[in-house]
Amino acid sequence: MSKRQGVIVTTVLLAAATASAQPAPIGAGGIPLPPPTDNTVATDGTPVDPPLDPNQPDAEHPIPPDQIPKDPYAHTAEPTRKAVPRPPISMPEVLTTQTGWLLPAAVLYSRTSIDTGGGVTSDNRVGLGDVAEFGIATIDSVREREDKDDTNVERIQPYVLASFRLGVQEERLFSGQPGVTLGFRKSFERNHNDYKTQIAELTLIASKHFGKNTALHIGGAFWDASVYGQFGEVDADGKAKKTEVTFHDGENFKNQVRAFGGLEVTPLPNSQILVDLGWAPEFCYHCDDADKIKLRPTLSWGVRYRVAEFMNLEAGVKVPDIASANLLDAQIFGQMTFTSWALRRAVDSLK
Amino acid sequence: MVGPIAKALLLVVAATAVARADEPTGDNPDAPPPKKTDEENAAGPPRRPDLTVRQVMRGPFRSSRLFSMPTTDVIGAYMLSLSGDGSLLQETGLLTSAGVLAIGFGDIAQLEYRHTSAISVTGVNAPLPGVGVQLKIPLPEHDAVPALGVAFRLGVPRREDFDGVFVDEKVSDLYFVGRLHWSRVDWLTLHGGTRISSASVSLGGDGAGSAKKTMYLPTAGYDIAMSEQSHIVGEIAAAPQFRWTPGSTEPPTIGYGLLGRLGVRWAVLPSVIIDGSIGYQLEVAHSRLASGPDDVVHWDIRLGAEVFVPWGALACRATGAFCD
Repeated sequence: MSKRQGVIVTTVLLAAATASAQPAPIGAGGIPLPPPTDNTVATDGTPVDPPLDPNQPDAEHPIPPDQIPKDPYAHTAEPTRKAVPRPPISMPEVLTTQTGWLLPAAVLYSRTSIDTGGGVTSDNRVGLGDVAEFGIATIDSVREREDKDDTNVERIQPYVLASFRLGVQEERLFSGQPGVTLGFRKSFERNHNDYKTQIAELTLIASKHFGKNTALHIGGAFWDASVYGQFGEVDADGKAKKTEVTFHDGENFKNQVRAFGGLEVTPLPNSQILVDLGWAPEFCYHCDDADKIKLRPTLSWGVRYRVAEFMNLEAGVKVPDIASANLLDAQIFGQMTFTSWALRRAVDSLK
Repeated sequence: MVGPIAKALLLVVAATAVARADEPTGDNPDAPPPKKTDEENAAGPPRRPDLTVRQVMRGPFRSSRLFSMPTTDVIGAYMLSLSGDGSLLQETGLLTSAGVLAIGFGDIAQLEYRHTSAISVTGVNAPLPGVGVQLKIPLPEHDAVPALGVAFRLGVPRREDFDGVFVDEKVSDLYFVGRLHWSRVDWLTLHGGTRISSASVSLGGDGAGSAKKTMYLPTAGYDIAMSEQSHIVGEIAAAPQFRWTPGSTEPPTIGYGLLGRLGVRWAVLPSVIIDGSIGYQLEVAHSRLASGPDDVVHWDIRLGAEVFVPWGALACRATGAFCD
């Protein structure tokens, strides 16, 4: 077979296969239409009526509207999609602490915050199947100091975390059931001032609405952290050696456990007053091993204004170490929160 | 000569496939595929030429695992399953990942090709392939009577270098697993079984010593159906734990460790399952083990996905081959 013959055979087969795939024009009642006739004009040029077909409709027997032949190639408009009403999203965070509410499936969440201390944080999450959510965040609440007399406590930022939360939505199992979420977040290792630090937090929190305008969040957290660096120890050769100290090395298990929570009040339809109490680790590099990692309470209060269905503005005050009552460290912050159903719509359209 | 003929044949096949794709099915393309019996469900979507791709990709599909534990189910004949997951948190500076390619072999077996790797920031370490086979024991299924399965996973050595001392670790597993489902508690499925592991560790390079042990390890899991698409899955298993201190002259030993995972399996589409979980020491052959469950800083978060490819049904749709 020559090359030319091959091309010819291919073309014929291609054309035949494509042609065979085209649907025949459909007539009334699903009967294929007869081929068109050309004898509507006589040889002398006068119009001639086509031969009568007893099956063809006439004025006395019109075609029912539902059997009118349709052009199979006519352009048909895409069916319009109805906008699905979406419920309001219960936020997975109060101001700085977690809530027991989860994002709906495939809903995106993004929060960006700045404060007067130069802190910039970001928190991005996605809801997984109405029972979980995954997120990546940067925080500025982890702090460090050289020793216990060091009053210049610095923030380590950005501190990048990954989070995964799993739970049951409010009212899901029975009436009055609070939303309950088991959360875990853990940081990537952070190298700052020649010290490698890492934190992790395991939380269990319940959130419940009381009436239309009040919600309460109560939870417990189990913290862990590690710091790796030179703490003054030397090896057998007299060289300074690096060691790792972890929070769970301490003898008192209770030091790792803390309660946290928050309160939401909605005095106006689009405005909320928020208060929360959380905890953040503080590293003290040259303190005793038992004091190298401490948890400090952080109190925040502020307001949330719902600008649009997809956007909230929040502003408030954050006191990083409320236990020391040092209001000079307090920061005023502002943050924007966006939520989006776009991914959910895309997923639904694929289904 | 062969080239033009091959091209011509390719064109014919492609044209036929295109043409078949244009054929009116006479059905509503959005209509769900016809219902199948439970036994047919295990075999994936029906292989019929009149189904649209959309109908084919609606499944049903059945996974053959929880997170890392095999179940009694297999993905089915004419099916392909691609799985992968990864964690940036488990080992500092590394993206640890794992992948599984499973091919349905009849309605009662599947073959697996596993690929576990550690990709560092500066380079790519040697891949660690492995193979496995999973069998569903073909007994009639009854309510509240366990279904049974067997899985074998052949491991390959993982080598780690500690200042000139090579540590080779290897684990091969034989799983006997059961699945229990009771229609009165239809949202819960229990899984359990025993894993028989042959574990070995040996030192090379500047070190010497080895250990080998056959271990009988219980494994258990549960699956809570939160909705049609979302399942909360937990699994816990005993596992071989290698112990050796770098720099030590003592030989390595093999002990018992504990692995646990809790998370969600979400069928974002019928053919795509997203996995997310938190876990305590997923990796078996790992040199930096956590000191206990309170060592939360060494827990990890893993994200993954499983994608089903009903290649038999798609081939039937496109070319008319492999049809029921």
